[in-house]
Amino acid sequence: MGLIARARLSRRLPARARDERGFTLPELLVTMTILLIVIGSLASVLVQSTTSEIDANNRFTAQVQDRTALDKIRRELHCASSLTDTSGNALTAGTSYSAITTQLSSVCPSTLGTTEYVTWCTSASTLKTGDYALYRVTATASRPTCSSSGKVKWDDYLQTSTPFCLPSSSVACSGVLKPTASLPMLHISLPVDLNGPTSTVDKYNLIDDVALRNGTRS
Amino acid sequence: MTALQRRHVRGEDGFTLVELLIAMIVLTVGILALVAAYTSGYVALNRATRVSSAQVIADSQMERFRALSYTNIWLNTTCGTNCAEDATYKGDSVYSSAAAVTGCTTTDSSCLPTQTKTGPDGRSYRLDTYVEYSCLSGTLSTSPTLTCGTTAPAPVKLVTVVVRSTGGSGTGSAGTITVREQSAFTSLTGQ
Repeated sequence: MGLIARARLSRRLPARARDERGFTLPELLVTMTILLIVIGSLASVLVQSTTSEIDANNRFTAQVQDRTALDKIRRELHCASSLTDTSGNALTAGTSYSAITTQLSSVCPSTLGTTEYVTWCTSASTLKTGDYALYRVTATASRPTCSSSGKVKWDDYLQTSTPFCLPSSSVACSGVLKPTASLPMLHISLPVDLNGPTSTVDKYNLIDDVALRNGTRS
Repeated sequence: MTALQRRHVRGEDGFTLVELLIAMIVLTVGILALVAAYTSGYVALNRATRVSSAQVIADSQMERFRALSYTNIWLNTTCGTNCAEDATYKGDSVYSSAAAVTGCTTTDSSCLPTQTKTGPDGRSYRLDTYVEYSCLSGTLSTSPTLTCGTTAPAPVKLVTVVVRSTGGSGTGSAGTITVREQSAFTSLTGQ
């Protein structure tokens, strides 16, 4: 670049700088509005995904709890020989119960080496009005109930207060009969739902029939 | 306007259409990859739900056989439409009409070859149950008496529970195996 050209450039620079007066207020407003719309839609997507993530997480936890509870009951009943209500009366076939009790021998894996009574019972949920929670409570001297101390919660958000039913070969529990010449079987129904009884999408209805393997076949 | 100013203005003419198109295509590929990740996550979650639900149904059915004594482990194949053994049932690798254990006269769920059950997730599942004589060693021979050969132990009853898709939305084509569970029962069962 020649000397003359350089001199021209230096003269023009202040003029160009004066031209660059930046954005006008309307331009800035339009830009900010567009930006706001974009950020707003992104934020709502973020909020929605966070909400559904929490929801999915809660449902997952409730379902895992449900399965764990059923698994525990299953393992205990496999060692049980008979079932009674919390007063020690035999269960009536086809009737739904909120609490069942069994006496487990000291050799059963879930006892701590002593013969004990184990009660599984439901009472009102502390997390959600109208729902029920499932508790396990043990005692060595007499049959414990859900009002006994030391109960441990295994399941929550249950939609029924009476999950237990003992079918016979002639009286069914929810359409399920005990096969003839079979061990006693307990019909367990643990429907969980975080969004209350009217919702259908979140319902997880775990149903099983568990055999009392130390019982007698009839 | 000087020559320099004109050159400066010409330089600020933005992106060309081609550049814009390329940028948009690259962006679309990126976004599609993210969407594909979401889709595969959904598919995996759906599959996990179906398998765990089918597992509950299979466990429940097997539990009924565990409660029975050896002689009562059998199927009812003569009770009409409930006991119809269709091509899907007969097409299974464990099915053998010669070794099938039949004789149950009730329509108890442990006696029915094919049933439709509702899983914990509310979907319908097809539950196929097979009860077949089987040999732990030796070859099964059904006549004149049931035996696995002179030196082999007596035959066992092999119970196979297969949970299949009913072909509902998002569950794969009808008959696809979701869960298979097998258990052998010897003549000492329930003695």
